[in-house]
Parts: sequence; structure tokens; C-alpha cells
Amino acid sequence: MIERRDQESIVNYLADASNFKGNCEKVLVPASKDEVKEAIIEAAAKNIPVTFSGAGTGLTGGRVPLGGWVISTEKLNRIIDIDTSNKTAAVEPGLLLSDFHAAISKIGLYYPPDPTEQNSTIGGNFATNASGAKSYKYGPTRSFIESAEIILPSGETFFLPQTKNCGNLLSMKSSSGKEYNIPVDDISMPEVKNASGYYIKRGMRDIDLFIGSEGTLGFVSEISLRLMDIPNEVISAVIFFESDINALDFIDDLRSLRNRNISINPSALEFFDKNSLEFLREDFPGIPNDALAAVWLENDCYNSDPDKVTDVLISFCEKHKANLSGSWFASDAKDRNKFQTFRHAVSYKVSEFISSKNMLKVGTDTAVPVQFFRKFLNDSINLVSGNEIRYVLYGHFGDCHMHLNMLPENQDQLRIAREIYSDIIDSAIEAGGTVSAEHGIGKIKKDYLLRMYGFESIKKMAYIKKILDSENLFGRGNIFTDLMFE
Amino acid sequence: MKIVVCVSHVPDTATRINVSGDGKNIDSTGVTYIVNPYDEFAIEEALKHKEKSGGETYVVSLGGDANKETIKKALAMGIDNGILLKDDSYRDSLSVAKALAAEIKSIGADLVFFGKQSVDYDSSAVGQLTAELLGMPLISVVVDLSVEGSKVTAEREIEGGKEVIETTLPCVITTQKGLNEPRYASLKGIMAAKKKIIEEKPALAVANYVELLQMKRPPAKEAGKIVGTDVSAVPELVRLLREEAKVI
Ligand SMILES: Cc1cc2nc3c(=O)[nH]c(=O)nc-3n(C[C@H](O)[C@H](O)[C@H](O)COP(=O)(O)OP(=O)(O)OC[C@H]3O[C@@H](n4cnc5c(N)ncnc54)[C@H](O)[C@@H]3O)c2cc1C
Repeated sequence: MIERRDQESIVNYLADASNFKGNCEKVLVPASKDEVKEAIIEAAAKNIPVTFSGAGTGLTGGRVPLGGWVISTEKLNRIIDIDTSNKTAAVEPGLLLSDFHAAISKIGLYYPPDPTEQNSTIGGNFATNASGAKSYKYGPTRSFIESAEIILPSGETFFLPQTKNCGNLLSMKSSSGKEYNIPVDDISMPEVKNASGYYIKRGMRDIDLFIGSEGTLGFVSEISLRLMDIPNEVISAVIFFESDINALDFIDDLRSLRNRNISINPSALEFFDKNSLEFLREDFPGIPNDALAAVWLENDCYNSDPDKVTDVLISFCEKHKANLSGSWFASDAKDRNKFQTFRHAVSYKVSEFISSKNMLKVGTDTAVPVQFFRKFLNDSINLVSGNEIRYVLYGHFGDCHMHLNMLPENQDQLRIAREIYSDIIDSAIEAGGTVSAEHGIGKIKKDYLLRMYGFESIKKMAYIKKILDSENLFGRGNIFTDLMFE
Repeated sequence: MKIVVCVSHVPDTATRINVSGDGKNIDSTGVTYIVNPYDEFAIEEALKHKEKSGGETYVVSLGGDANKETIKKALAMGIDNGILLKDDSYRDSLSVAKALAAEIKSIGADLVFFGKQSVDYDSSAVGQLTAELLGMPLISVVVDLSVEGSKVTAEREIEGGKEVIETTLPCVITTQKGLNEPRYASLKGIMAAKKKIIEEKPALAVANYVELLQMKRPPAKEAGKIVGTDVSAVPELVRLLREEAKVI
């Protein structure tokens, strides 16, 4: 097993895309699950904490170690099997999403989860329950996990198939026959897209507990994913508006018709404010000068007639006064990829900007129930405007999921940004929303998780963690503060 | 003024290509097709020229029904008329040029645009051959263009520099990256394109001079070798570069 100890090579594992920094004793790069087990057993015997690392594109410091060892999945990157008749694929956790998409699209198959960052790993997506633009129609990573194999701190493994549990207990048997009973004590999760804390709900599958658990309950060593057929055609457009109100009305209108039997049924509905467009203008000179907001929309056509979808789309654009001559319509796969790049570029440029200033991003990942979304949005904009901090506002607005990224340039601004962030979180919680819809809690949002769920619910999560990882060795510092764990 | 743009329909540069069973074609399963990227500069330039000086624009493509996708894109970007010269069989560059030249002649074009090369066969020949057949001057690999009245001034890329060439209309231009920033189809363009009809006619039948015998993948790249990860590996690396790779 490759072992890295010199600072030069381990420094790459000591931060992630959030720019949160940590330290570790060494980095292990196993080439098989047996090597993973070996490393885990050794660490447990020595009581050394272990942090799992995917591609490090996480935005909450989840893979950043606070001491101990790092186990990196970079060499566990094979596609084990693709079953074309049942439309499933078994993969190793270090497989890059981009490589997976490329491999299955060649054989006419499709995997919708698309966290904007294609360089993330499937294991990382699993551990954060990543979602993306297309989660609007298809749901997050969780909806596509068929089964998985989990390695526990004891070195034992769970193989968790699709079984549902009706009662209030998850009963799981490990490879050695040991039984683990985990109480399912409902924590009233919000009715929105959510990646905050553990998934605990009556009727959940065993596997649901591990999806989104941010490397705190087990190492996922093999994942089986559900696949779909590639749509016959995909309509993709970037629609520009001269007013953000029109853009938001356009989204609301389409959302209200979601899954009704009309011709248009977007798989993605993404919003960009004028500041986001400013950020993008340099790279995308085709953005009309008078555009003050944009919506990127994709519509997968399986049974629907693409021409009909286009007609309906145009009628919605006319109704909401979109810029018809300046909006972009993809004519082929290359254009569609360009529009995806456009979406990715906002997040990417924000991360780049923040690292260049050596600051921490102060960005929300909140989702709220639809009936409160517009008010929540207005309140957030009011909070952030009226001071000097630059910000960009964009996100998965189909899912009422907002990324408001503040870009502080000095310590003073950072402090103010954090205060604003805290106020926004309060209003999301008050609206019945979540503090993290897709990035997870990691090491930087724990206090907000506590605010969202309250101490009792967090205790229930910590209780579960103790059953599986009594010494708190896995993903130490993620989700729980030490206090919660006591 | 009549402006013609000739476009080809090619495999997406991002897809991996495999050779089909007969060894004479590419296997098109899972391959997505796009407008030849260099032709997008040609379409954009035609549109810009029309916006500035008026005229009627035509897009012409030779190939099978699938080429209609590419024609549709050009129409949605704003080209006025679409013509498909139908032929599903393999054609060499000269037979493509002959069919295009016949069509361009019958349109009576004053200004003809091509991409500098098509990224499928990469022959970089059809624009030049067509110009010759039409008896028109040609400026290839153009990165800057101005047309004032009938005077044409173009800057073209040459080895290690650029040259500026003047000619007069009618003429043929082949376009290179850097000439402009191609627009996307707009919603308005999509609406307008729906009303435009693609004219289909058989491509002029002519003999090929070139026969395609076989397609082959280039040999697979050999695996790299890690000689070491720190300075101690340098002498061995130098030795290998000198004795095995023979590059220093
Ligand atoms: C520009 C940009 C855009 C982004 N957009 C989105 C988006 O739209 N939606 C979204 O959901 N996310 C988004 N992200 C966040 C990020 O891409 C996701 O969180 C992704 O799932 C992380 O994958 P990774 O492989 O980089 O994981 P890492 O960052 O390496 O790790 C993330 C977490 O997973 C755990 N982990 C990794 N592998 C394993 C394993 N085998 N077993 C157990 N635990 C493991 C780690 O310990 C850590 O807690 C974005 C990030 C960037 C930089």
C-alpha cells in the first residue's frame, strides 16, 4: 500500500474546495478493499482517527483530517461491472463521476446525479448525498443507490441491499455475523432537499443511514447504482431576462406545473443573478448587455416531442418577457456541454476567487419549502445588500435551493459576512428549511446543524454513531462537535 | 448579395471513435454529431456580414439525413435558407467540392464561406478545391476579415506569423478560430427556423478519385514508467532519456 508521509505530498490532502485546512500523520492509498480493511484495523488497534478522502472537491472540509491518518480512494477507481439488462452499475468509491458518465453514455445509459463538480468521486457523492441541477427531476444521489458495501471501524463489513425497514429498528448483520440494532427515532427531517446530518426516518432503507453520513459511520467500499436510458433528446437553454422578478416568476410558473401532464417537464431549473452574470461575462461574451438574470433549463425528452417542448418553452419565455433574441438555445451536445460549463463556471470562479484571496467562502446551501421561497430569497437579498461585501446569488431554484456566496476581501468583511450568514440560516430554519441541501455539514457547519435540529436530535444521531464507531475514529470532526459526542 | 456557407456534420470532438466492423467507417453507436467547429466561425461571419451589409444567406451541406441537424442549427443561428445535397455514400474531397461548386454556381453566390477544415477527415481541401472549380479567388485560414463594397481584405495565419491579403468579390473564404465568437441559436432563431424549409436534392453524381481502403486505430500509447519520485532518480532518468528514448 502506498504510504505518503512527506509534507510535499500530503499537503494536497489537507484542504478541500472550501479552503478549510487540517493536518495528518500520513496518507494511505490502498489499491483494494482488503488493503482498506487492513489499514482500518491497524488504525483502530492503535486508536488513531481516520479520515476518508475522495477527490477533495467537498465544500465543507469533510475530507480534511484533524490529525490521524487519511485513507484516499484515488486508486479504487474501477467500474466493477455494468449490467445493461438490469441497468445497474457496480463501482469502486474512487471512480470519478466524469469517467463514469463517459463510460455509460457510450453504451446508451444515463446517471442523472450531476453535482456541478464532475471531478468528484462517486464515494464522495455517496458520503455527501450529492445532488445537482438534475436532482430537480430525478432526486439526489440517494435515489440512485441500489446497494453498497460498508467497512466499519472494526474492519467488519456490511453488505446493504435495498431492504426497507418498517419498524423503528435497523437490524444489520456484519460479515462476521455480529448484529447491530439501530433505533430509528424520527428526527423530523425538513421536507426539502437535504444533506444535513444523518437520514433517520421511519421506513428508511438500511443503506439510507450511510448515504450522506460524511465518512463518520463507515467506509463505502463498493456502490451499486441505478441507471436509466439516455433520453432521446435533451432540450437545453440559457434564458436571459431584463428583470430578476421575471426570471423568478418564470421558474415559479414552471415549477407549479411540475410533473403535471403537460409537454414541458424540466429536469433542471437553475437561476443566476446579475452578479453571477458579471462574473461570467469575461468567459462568455455572448451574455446580453442588458441581462439582469438568467435561467438555465434542461428538459429530457423520453416520450415527449422535442418540438412541442420547445414550443411550450417559448410560450413561457414570451409570457415572462424573456429576451428572445439574446437567449441561447443548444442545438447539439457541444452546446449543451457549453451551458453546463456556464453553470459550473459560476461555482468554480467563486472558489477560485476565494482561494486567490486566501479567504474562506461564506456561502449558503439552504433549501426551504416552496411556499416560503420567495420571501426567504427577498429577506436574504435585503440582508446582504446594503454593505460593501461582494456576493453572487445562484442555485437550484427549481428545488428552492439557494447558493448565496459572499466574497469577503478582508477580515472585517469576513466577520460581517458570517453575521449575515447566520441571519440567513435563522430565516431558513424558521421557514422549515435546511442549512445544507447538498454540500453536507462537514467541519464548518456544525453549529448551524445544531440550530436546525436542536440538541436532542443531534444526540440521537450521535447515539447511532456510537453504536457503530464507539471510539469516534471515523471522520472525526464532521457533523458532531466533541460536546455532542460525549 | 448572396452569401453561401458550406457546413459539415461531424462526430463530436469529445467522443471516442471506434472503427466499424467493415473497417471502412467509424462505428457511430454512442457517437454524437455536431456542426464542424470551424464551420461555426463561417456561419457567424456570414451572419455578421449580412447584419452589416444585407443580403441573402444560404447554408449548404452534403451528406445523409442526419446532416439536417447541422443545417437546422445554422438556420436557428439566423441563416435564411437551408439546402441538403443528399448522398449517403463515401465521397472524396474532390467529389464533395464538385457537388458543392455546382450548387454554389446555381445560387449565384458572391461570397462563400467554409471552415478551414472538417474535423472528421481533416483533409483541409474542400474549400480550396471548390474555389478552383468556381474560378474564384480563395483566402484560407482567415482570422480577420473586412468586406467593403467589393473589396475584400483578410488576415490569414501562416507559419510563424500572419499575412494580409486583398482580393475582390466574388471569393471564397475559409475560417479559422479567432475570427469571431460564434453565437448560440436564440429562441427567436429557433422560432424562425421552424418556419424555414430545408430544400433537399440529390448531390451531383461524380466519380471518386480516392478509394478508402481501411481505417485503423493508431497504436495504443505505451504505459509510462516512473523512474523514481525524488532527486535520486535524476541520473537514471537522464540515462534513459539519452539511451532509450534518444531524445537528449
Ligand atoms: C465548483 C464546485 C461545484 C460544486 N457543486 C456541487 C453541487 O452542485 N452539488 C453538490 O452536491 N455538491 C457540489 N459540490 C461539492 C462537491 O463536489 C461534492 O460534495 C462531492 O460529492 C464531493 O466529492 P469528493 O470526491 O470530492 O469528496 P471529498 O471532498 O474528498 O469528500 C467529501 C466527504 O466524503 C467522504 N468520503 C469520501 N469517500 C468516502 C468513502 N469511500 N467512504 C466514506 N466516506 C467517504 C469524506 O470523508 C468527506 O466527508 C461542488 C464543489 C465545487 C468545487
